[in-house]
Amino acid sequence: MSAAAVAVEPTRDGALASPPLLELEGIVKTFPGVRALDGVSFAIRPGEIHMLLGENGAGKSSLMKVLCGVYRADEGRFRHLGREVTIRGPADARALGIAVIFQEFSLVPYLDIAQNVFLGREPRGRLPGTVDRAAMHREARRLLDTLGLDLDTRTPVHRLGVAQQQMVEIAKALSQQARVLVLDEPTAALSDRESERLFAAIARLKAEGVAMVYISHRMAEVFELGDRITVLRDGRHVGSFLRGETTPESLVSLMVGRKVDMAYSREYCTAPGEVALEVRGLNAGERVQDVSLTVRAGEIVGLCGLVGSGRTEVVRAIFGADPVTGGEVRVFGRPRTGGPDDAARLGVALIPESRKTEGLALIRSVGDNLVMSALQGALGSRWFSPAAALRLSREQIDALRIATPGPGQRVQLLSGGNQQKVVIGKWLAAKARLFIFDEPTRGIDVGAKAEIFALIDGLVKAGAAVLMISSEQSEIVKVCDRAYVMRGGRIVGELGRDRLTEENIVGLGMHDG
Amino acid sequence: MAEHALAAAPAARAPRRETPGAAWMLGALALAFALLAPGFLSSQNLVNIANQSAILLMIALPMTLIIMTEGLDLSAGSVLTLCSVVLAAMLVRTGGSIGLSLPASLAVGVAFGVVNGLLVARAGVPPFVATLGTLGAAQGLALVVTDGQSIVGLGESLGPLYTGTVAGLPVPLLFALASWAALHGLLYHTRFGTYVFALGGNRDALRFAGVRVERCLVWVYVLGGAMSGLAALLLTARMNAGHPTSAIGMEFDAIAAVAVGGTSFERGNGWLFGTVLGVFAIGVLRNGLNLMAIPSSVQVAAIGVLVIVALLIDGFGRKR
Repeated sequence: MSAAAVAVEPTRDGALASPPLLELEGIVKTFPGVRALDGVSFAIRPGEIHMLLGENGAGKSSLMKVLCGVYRADEGRFRHLGREVTIRGPADARALGIAVIFQEFSLVPYLDIAQNVFLGREPRGRLPGTVDRAAMHREARRLLDTLGLDLDTRTPVHRLGVAQQQMVEIAKALSQQARVLVLDEPTAALSDRESERLFAAIARLKAEGVAMVYISHRMAEVFELGDRITVLRDGRHVGSFLRGETTPESLVSLMVGRKVDMAYSREYCTAPGEVALEVRGLNAGERVQDVSLTVRAGEIVGLCGLVGSGRTEVVRAIFGADPVTGGEVRVFGRPRTGGPDDAARLGVALIPESRKTEGLALIRSVGDNLVMSALQGALGSRWFSPAAALRLSREQIDALRIATPGPGQRVQLLSGGNQQKVVIGKWLAAKARLFIFDEPTRGIDVGAKAEIFALIDGLVKAGAAVLMISSEQSEIVKVCDRAYVMRGGRIVGELGRDRLTEENIVGLGMHDG
Repeated sequence: MAEHALAAAPAARAPRRETPGAAWMLGALALAFALLAPGFLSSQNLVNIANQSAILLMIALPMTLIIMTEGLDLSAGSVLTLCSVVLAAMLVRTGGSIGLSLPASLAVGVAFGVVNGLLVARAGVPPFVATLGTLGAAQGLALVVTDGQSIVGLGESLGPLYTGTVAGLPVPLLFALASWAALHGLLYHTRFGTYVFALGGNRDALRFAGVRVERCLVWVYVLGGAMSGLAALLLTARMNAGHPTSAIGMEFDAIAAVAVGGTSFERGNGWLFGTVLGVFAIGVLRNGLNLMAIPSSVQVAAIGVLVIVALLIDGFGRKR
């Protein structure tokens, strides 16, 4: 526990001085190779909104899962109203009145609101097996009124918007007598107006004494709603404050902290070449709004922002994997109009985040994977020549130093780093000149990371252009020549080499308006 | 509730379905055959359509529930056939006692339902594969029971079931109505019905709500088997014989009827009355083509086209 946490025991405000409903002390949760939670302590009081902040991977989700019984803590204690309790599974958490509103909803689309709220707990009708629908709708109505939700309880939930579905989730939790609600970035998918409605509902629940743990990435919310703010970093509790005691700037600096240095350096690009990628006013779905960016040959350009800010959606739209609803994408001066096939023809390579499902055919051989994208180009004569394919894949294995017994090895059996090299090699074989990386080092060990970055550096040195998404700000800062920062589907800033720091990235990525 | 409904925001009102493809298809087909097929509108012919559709309806209704759970029952037609020959064989042995023969038919149907359900729910075999296997098993057993021959000499007891009337309504139609009413009640007014929606819509949500998901899923297939056992009564009565290939392939019509009726094969989006419309659309189509003396091989193709057209209509409706 840090000194800051001790300093905040509230004395001023009557409501906040009430004894904790739930206390967590010294929670430790480890996974192979990672200490996800390292002695985190946390208290939740009735009628209090406790904001939980931290960068991606700081341990917020783990803490939340420990709280609702999905994960079992390795060490640490729970106290409920001062009495020591254990949380061994979801049932225990539920019995303590803890309910989590996850980002993915647990609703059944073609059942109505009341049926969803009471799923598995339907009031029984007179005949065996039947449901007392009048009672069910009456009770659902009452719950919706509590939340200020003016909807017919007979509406099937697939007709509701995201915000309304979230409200139904909350109603469901309340119907189970939840006294602690855990909200995981509840406004991430909501419009401003929808968010206002959610806040109104939250205010009502607060007035009724429901305690809330609220995970957020939006500074405005943190200060508008939070009674208490806790910051996590690398699985540790680094500070708790009452709302008035801190500022956005100091929270950001607490979140970022200092990371272990990665031994890596490159010569940054001083004289970029021709424009490789030009995106103007790109719109795609709800997560990409009016995005404009430029990447030149010889440059590594970062695309950062928090998880869910629309980064992946932007690159998918650029690649033609998702439909574009507006704007223009030009690759080496030529418009990209079709789907991924068109993008690939123009020399665009996408190295996706979910390597195993989108980047590779796992059960096929290294050789098959390496030539997959070249089939239309280099190998694209009428007849497929196995000999030419073998030659091409051998070239890539040598050039990228892929550790494999040979081209016949199943990709599945390679390490994460070597699998990533196969994905890159697949595009090199297809003679791509614009490489888009989405979290290139996810699931790759430290040694291989440096190798991947060296490879990326090699690509730009050879005249290619690179656009790279990473949730690790330190990676962006080290590797990129420039970076764009996204928030809520928009680009909110561009940072040149001189201003490319973790503080600036996090600051831009979190502040509202 | 009414005052709340009125007070509700316009954002979302009580559910109202768009007119589904099945209704358009049924209307268009009826109109076309009324003009083209001689005798289509005669009362005798309309009764024929109803009678012929009754058996299909009894298979297609539970098929709707199965499909709503993102499942499939390819064995339905073969199990119905097996039930029918078992029923016929029992009738011969018991001297025409329905009271002794029907339980045997139902038992066979339920047994296949249990096997299908356990394979899908407990063993995790994909429904397509599991029920393809039981399809073969049922078909083979039907041949074993009959030794490849038709079972005849069932006596007179079944006759009235297909040709008789009660209160002026043909008995098969009454069977169909009763089946629909029973399954409607089951799907829309019981907890089990709610869980059927959830099995396809969000199985995890159902599991986390503390419902025994696997058991629920087994029951859905058992229902299908039991309905085959019951429908065997009508099928056998129609031919007054047990024939080892009588309902082979009926699962195609049943699945087509469900699809035409607007039940989606994912997310638990089903509509039971749509299946009724779908069954009658297929009944009208087959009947009309028969009247026009178009061979049955062409009829199967026509049903395929019907399915595609109905789904296209629904698809366009959704895009608008």
